[in-house]
Amino acid sequence: MVDLEKLRQTAKDIVSRDDVKHIIGWKQGTYGFRVEPHFAAEPDEADALTFSPLCTNNLATYLTLAEKLPVPRGEEPDTRKVALMVKGCDSRAVVQLLVEQGLTREGVYVVGCPCSGVVDVKKVEKMFPDILEPAQAYWKNDQIVFQLPDGEKEVSREEVLPQKCLLCRYPNPVIYDELLWDEVKAWGSEDYEDVKELEAKSPEERWDFWKDKFSSCLRCYSCRNVCPMCYCEDCVLDRLNPTWTFRSVNLSENTSYHLARAFHLAGRCIECGECERVCPVDIPLMKLNRKLYKEVVERFDYEPGIDPEATPLQASYRPDDEEDFIL
Amino acid sequence: MSKDYEPNIVAFLCNWCSYAGADLAGTSRVQYPPNINIIRVMCTGRVNPLFLVNAFQQGADSVLVSGCHPGDCHYMEGNFYARRRFTLMKELLEFIGVDPRRVNMSWVSASEGGKFKDVVEKLVKDAKDTGPFEQFRRNKINW
Repeated sequence: MVDLEKLRQTAKDIVSRDDVKHIIGWKQGTYGFRVEPHFAAEPDEADALTFSPLCTNNLATYLTLAEKLPVPRGEEPDTRKVALMVKGCDSRAVVQLLVEQGLTREGVYVVGCPCSGVVDVKKVEKMFPDILEPAQAYWKNDQIVFQLPDGEKEVSREEVLPQKCLLCRYPNPVIYDELLWDEVKAWGSEDYEDVKELEAKSPEERWDFWKDKFSSCLRCYSCRNVCPMCYCEDCVLDRLNPTWTFRSVNLSENTSYHLARAFHLAGRCIECGECERVCPVDIPLMKLNRKLYKEVVERFDYEPGIDPEATPLQASYRPDDEEDFIL
Repeated sequence: MSKDYEPNIVAFLCNWCSYAGADLAGTSRVQYPPNINIIRVMCTGRVNPLFLVNAFQQGADSVLVSGCHPGDCHYMEGNFYARRRFTLMKELLEFIGVDPRRVNMSWVSASEGGKFKDVVEKLVKDAKDTGPFEQFRRNKINW
């Protein structure tokens, strides 16, 4: 089970090493059920690190977000490792980044935190409104216990977990240099129930569903920015020449934006669900991602983020790929 | 839909096979419907699937990507990559509610002028059945 003492001690040991720049982990946020990312570069900063069902953020994003400034003449580039605390889903992002050579195995030190499912903060805030003081939570068997100002509240996991955690098949990190505590038993199974439900409808009904969702999009680009796999420095959606997607916010451009975003994650999305979590207007983005995930698994027998030695899906082919639709 | 609706079909043809196939259809006086706007690309592997989305936004009613038969690619493997990408984009477009008959791919070699005619005729028939594409067409603003 979660052992915070061990976590902090390990983190201290890691940041004390000469070849580690800093460790990226979670710490208690300033209000409510929020947890924020924490970058500890010194051993005493590691005391703030925590791990609880509230640690929803996928910290693998920060591996590629770090700005790489040009090195002044005469100085050596900083080649120290970045240590990173990962849940099961986050570790798959690290694997996929390794597959795409977005980072090197030597450049990262992965600290695995087997996870029994993190909460959907929106659901929790609905359940316990008006909590302003920092609240904490921990796992207890099949329950999640919230420590609130008026005592502890036990809630069953089904009630507060997001869909991606209920279906999670990789709660344990698939890649790590160090595992903090015992692995948990995987509980999820994937049947793509919600995708199939939408697939069963007629094209008109599907379009009505998505039209409604896409027209509410604000184009805040949160889904793109939070995604650990969206790390192109020159994003196709920002490009002006050629302009693939106009900046105007209307149904046509929003649809084009969401198609481009989902398509660029085909065979790369590792189902961490961050895009859906940060969406301010609750667009079910994971439905699009899961649809493509399903096709990738079924048609190409490929699962992203499992094997660091794999070839990227769209950079490989099999001569006998299905082509039943080709005239 | 009016009776004299003429669909607008955008076709991305590979330089080495399908474009030559279309040329053969022309030189051998094979009649095919004139609704097709051909864009020549060097290889189907050149076709970014976002081209399809962009074509739909800018007024296409149906799109076609056509290249060499598998194994015949001038660049050895371009059409294999194109097939994977196209499969995923087709699934995605269908999932958001675009009629599957609007998104097409075909293999037409340089000697298949007749097949090119068949493909175009099928596309035009399908496009006439499905009607004008209006789901996410870009609206021109008349300032």
